[in-house]
Amino acid sequence: MKRAAIALLGLMLLAGLTAMASEAGRLLIWADDSRAPIMLNVAAEFTAVYGVDVEVQEVGFGDIRGQLATAGPAGEGPDILIGAHDWLGELILNGLIEPVVLEPGTIADFNPVAIDAFMWGDLLYGVPYATENVGLIRNTDLVPEVPATFEELLVVAKGLTDLEAGKYGFLIQQPDPYHTFALYTAGGGYVFGKDASGVLDPCDIGLDNAGSIAGATILDQMVKDGIEIAGAGYGEVTGAFNAGNLGMMIGGPWTLADAKANNINYGVSAIPPIDGNAPGVFVGVQGFMISAFSENKVLANLFIKDFLISTDVMLGLFIEGDRPPAYLPALGFLTGNEDIQGFAAAAATAIPMPKIAEMGSVWDSWIGALELIVNQEQDPATAMQEAADEIRALLGCE
Amino acid sequence: MYSRHTLLGSAWRHGIVLLLCTFSVFPALWIASASFNATNNMQLQQLIPSNPSLAHYRELFTSDRYQYATWLLNSLKVSLLTSAFTVIMAGLGAYAFSRFRFKGRRVGLLSLLLIQMFPQMLAVVAIFLLILSLGDIFPWAGLNTHTGLILVYLGGAMGFNTWLMKGYFDTIPRSLEESAKVDGATPFQAFVRIILPLARPILATIFVLSFISTYSELFIATILLRSNSRFTLAVGMNLLISNRYDNRWGMFAAGALVAAIPFLIVFIIAQRSLVSGLTRGSVKE
Amino acid sequence: MAGPPKGGPAFSSMIWRYTAEHSLKILFLGILCAVSVYVFVFLVSKGLYIPSVMSLIGAGSITYVFLSEKRYPIRWLIPGLLFLAVMVVYPIGYTFVSSFSNVGTGHMLSKDQALEQLLERSYTPDDAAEYTYMAFADARGDLALILEGADQMILYVDGSATDIVRTDPRLIDEDSDGTADRFGDYSRLTTPQIVQRLSVIEDYRIEYKGTIIGLENLNEFRTRAPLYVYDEEAETMRDLRTGIVYTSREGIFTASDGKEIYPGYKVGIGLRNFVKLVTNPQISGPFAKVFLWTFLYATLTVLLNFALGLFTAILLNDPFLRFRTVYRVLAIVPYALPAFITILVWRGMLNVHFGVINHMLVAVFGSGARVPWLQSAMWAKVSVLLVNLWLGYPYMMLISLGALQSIPGSLYAAARVDGATWWQRFWKITLPLLLMPLAPLLIGAFAFNFNNFTLIYLLTEGGPAIAGSATPAGATDILISYTYNLAFAGERGNQLGLAAAVSVLIFLIVATISAINFRMTGALEELSKNV
Repeated sequence: MKRAAIALLGLMLLAGLTAMASEAGRLLIWADDSRAPIMLNVAAEFTAVYGVDVEVQEVGFGDIRGQLATAGPAGEGPDILIGAHDWLGELILNGLIEPVVLEPGTIADFNPVAIDAFMWGDLLYGVPYATENVGLIRNTDLVPEVPATFEELLVVAKGLTDLEAGKYGFLIQQPDPYHTFALYTAGGGYVFGKDASGVLDPCDIGLDNAGSIAGATILDQMVKDGIEIAGAGYGEVTGAFNAGNLGMMIGGPWTLADAKANNINYGVSAIPPIDGNAPGVFVGVQGFMISAFSENKVLANLFIKDFLISTDVMLGLFIEGDRPPAYLPALGFLTGNEDIQGFAAAAATAIPMPKIAEMGSVWDSWIGALELIVNQEQDPATAMQEAADEIRALLGCE
Repeated sequence: MYSRHTLLGSAWRHGIVLLLCTFSVFPALWIASASFNATNNMQLQQLIPSNPSLAHYRELFTSDRYQYATWLLNSLKVSLLTSAFTVIMAGLGAYAFSRFRFKGRRVGLLSLLLIQMFPQMLAVVAIFLLILSLGDIFPWAGLNTHTGLILVYLGGAMGFNTWLMKGYFDTIPRSLEESAKVDGATPFQAFVRIILPLARPILATIFVLSFISTYSELFIATILLRSNSRFTLAVGMNLLISNRYDNRWGMFAAGALVAAIPFLIVFIIAQRSLVSGLTRGSVKE
Repeated sequence: MAGPPKGGPAFSSMIWRYTAEHSLKILFLGILCAVSVYVFVFLVSKGLYIPSVMSLIGAGSITYVFLSEKRYPIRWLIPGLLFLAVMVVYPIGYTFVSSFSNVGTGHMLSKDQALEQLLERSYTPDDAAEYTYMAFADARGDLALILEGADQMILYVDGSATDIVRTDPRLIDEDSDGTADRFGDYSRLTTPQIVQRLSVIEDYRIEYKGTIIGLENLNEFRTRAPLYVYDEEAETMRDLRTGIVYTSREGIFTASDGKEIYPGYKVGIGLRNFVKLVTNPQISGPFAKVFLWTFLYATLTVLLNFALGLFTAILLNDPFLRFRTVYRVLAIVPYALPAFITILVWRGMLNVHFGVINHMLVAVFGSGARVPWLQSAMWAKVSVLLVNLWLGYPYMMLISLGALQSIPGSLYAAARVDGATWWQRFWKITLPLLLMPLAPLLIGAFAFNFNNFTLIYLLTEGGPAIAGSATPAGATDILISYTYNLAFAGERGNQLGLAAAVSVLIFLIVATISAINFRMTGALEELSKNV
């Protein structure tokens, strides 16, 4: 028994190591698996020039916010993190990130939409590197030309749909407000309106205005016409597309890798005008942010400014992540890339995803409304109205 | 309880069991299918993929970002150690509850059960801060250590495990220990030399239960383990699917299947102890 | 410990063993006390008074238990209880305490952390001066900085700033390239060397002639003015740039016109979270419906899982069944795979148009047989029970197999002699003897499923949505999934204090139900029989 205890103690001592945390004199970066490889290369470069250690820790993209909230204030967080711009509201309210300082000349090298996405008040809270939005992705074997209008698109879709045989013409994954938003915006629908000073007003909810209801009605009609079917989520829609059974879908750059792997000939374009109006889509921006609890803020700024903001690095991130770069010199290299141009066309009337923390209260009710519409359990007008009222109640508006 | 089967008896028994096994295994076949499928999709249409490929499996063991083999070893280490200690601690406690009468016994047993019913979803923050402080005092048991993780898991050793074991011990007649006491043995010696061998089935059960619950535990491991080389399987594989859209289901499926093998091995070994019949020969009834 | 050793040849070995055991215990207790004193001092030095006292109490109780004869049984429980107390009870206490605070988005930090951040903030005043600088370090590693501004040069060393001129004799240009290489004993640092010390340099606040100068980026220093000044007595923050005064109100500094400064910090708000839960129409409205489904689901799923698990265990316990091991391994497969992926696979299989189950049903019975598994409220509930059956019956099988071994075979032999049928043997012997050890576990399974957030979240996300309800509650939402959702979605999201209150309330509900269950099934009765 004694021998066992000693052995155990020895084992435990062997098992220990000090924790990873923001420590003075070295940098810790949190990145998910698609960005970590590039970060490692840049980190090596930085260490070679300055002799400062840079550590890249892989954290799941969906986990970064939660872990930062716990680890950051406890002194165990990173110096630099990679995240999405719609996290800004939450992160700033919790005092978790610091503003980044960039020269006006450098700022001009970035897509203004991307810079705007990372502004809060008049401070810049992150350096953007990629934008993402959805567009119309079509199987060019089944749909050779982009339909000129949305109405035409529906006709083409109907012609291709044969439910018994498992063939579909056009699917929007449901219930998914992000992918369906284009239908709403074409008629003038919006999520949060802006007040007089241009700031989002969480109590001005436009999900039950005429444009939104018109968009919801289009979806409802698609279900009635047998084009859209219940139970078509992300996996089902992309699965059907990659099997060559789907003519068109609304999707983002992340779907292309699998399509290529399955040898599907595809084309990316803007979503055709609905009732004469160009639909706006949500645009999300990803960027580098600095933790407010970092012990190396100037060092982090230096790393970002001198090493991350470069055409090589931005292009490297593009190759791994498939998303259009926000850094204009890098984007300039890609004028020949049809996919990027297609998404750029779709983003012509893009609307940044609202970054106020109240956005989190919107999704559930909106998803519920879409579900009811697709299941044909409620008419679109009532569904959207109830959803909007629910959101107002959740946010305490009156 | 059982007698020899007739041919018909044998047939329907095997038939029903096969049906149950099909029920159990069918979804696993889909996971296998996804692991051989080039696309990263879990919503598959066909069981047999049209272009089967071993790419996902290869990536598991050759990828330097996903140190699958390391994670597998980490998980095994943490789970085996936790299960061993859990069996010991729960056994000691269960024996005390079963054999001794002391103040607070009833209340203790009831509280053990009720404590398990508290929703522990917010516990991760408390545990993070706890282990963080522990690491300041004992660096080898702090954040990002397997020791710290095992210590947290051992918090769950007493609980349902104790109840299960206690119920089992209750069915072992005291006469066995009485006769041992006459020979001058301490209660502890009686426990180790007489009761434990007889309790092999329940020890095996607890070991398996404890193994699988720590093997697949995600939340605490994610918040405590911070560097890639120390991840357990659950944490590492979760990296593959924590994006909004571009999740790598193919590799995750392959990883899940390979990860199931050690557990099944543990189960095969442990279930050999699930043999009926306690030897009552040592007591003259 | 054994009583006075009995006489005989074993006497001396008895004494030897007694002393050895005794000294081991004394040694162990001694080490424990030493360690606990060390821990106590350490925790006190960190200002963690409650944990330090707790650790002393813990060590004291352990010592008492090991020295007192009366408390002998508790020695067996010490290891398990210790871990339970620290790793389970403490987090419960933490959650409980959080339920009385407003911790959540905007209030995540402690007051000190929030103040630290706010007081760190600075702005560049209009008359800001910029300075380039040279950095020097001596043999010991101490730094000296020489800042060069438009009109003056400042020497900053050992924490104080003084004027200096370019012609100061301590500045030595060794290689005559126009830049100083040494300052007295300090030698000039190269850029990489500066970068390695950046985190130290960035903390400097150089006070010079009434201004404060700080490092702006790698190449320059700049005057900064602190943005806020804090009045501790009045608990206000004054913005030095605009003059607006913000008063601390429930953890957020608020101006008279309602504008707020972030970050805020967490404060106690008493019972407000609980009141909110009880009076919020979004919660009280669907409460009855959601509670009913939760209770029904938890009860049904335990009964179903146990029935199938026990049935399978009895079949697989049969020593005459060949390939028993193979069957057991196959049956336990659901248990071997992570729930994350298996629940999602089920979700795909149950998809109304794309799922394989409907494909098979339609192939055999025609398209009328298409079941709206996850689309309709009723079938979604069935799906939840079905998937949980798949997930949970192996566990029931496992514990049944374990418990079956405790039933002596002699009982069955005697019953058969008496002419009992298989059915009678099951009901009169097997089931009662199984329920004794298993009843508490079944009640525990009930509690587990009552709070089975994971299953609902991954399979249905609480849906499908219910038309016409004023709340986002779905048809398969259980109490915990629905209320957590509200806590994490409502207002600005992540209201952890509210979620903690939810945990406490749900615990009270489940514990009450379980206690009633205990009473009704007499699961504790056998305790009193044995007493």
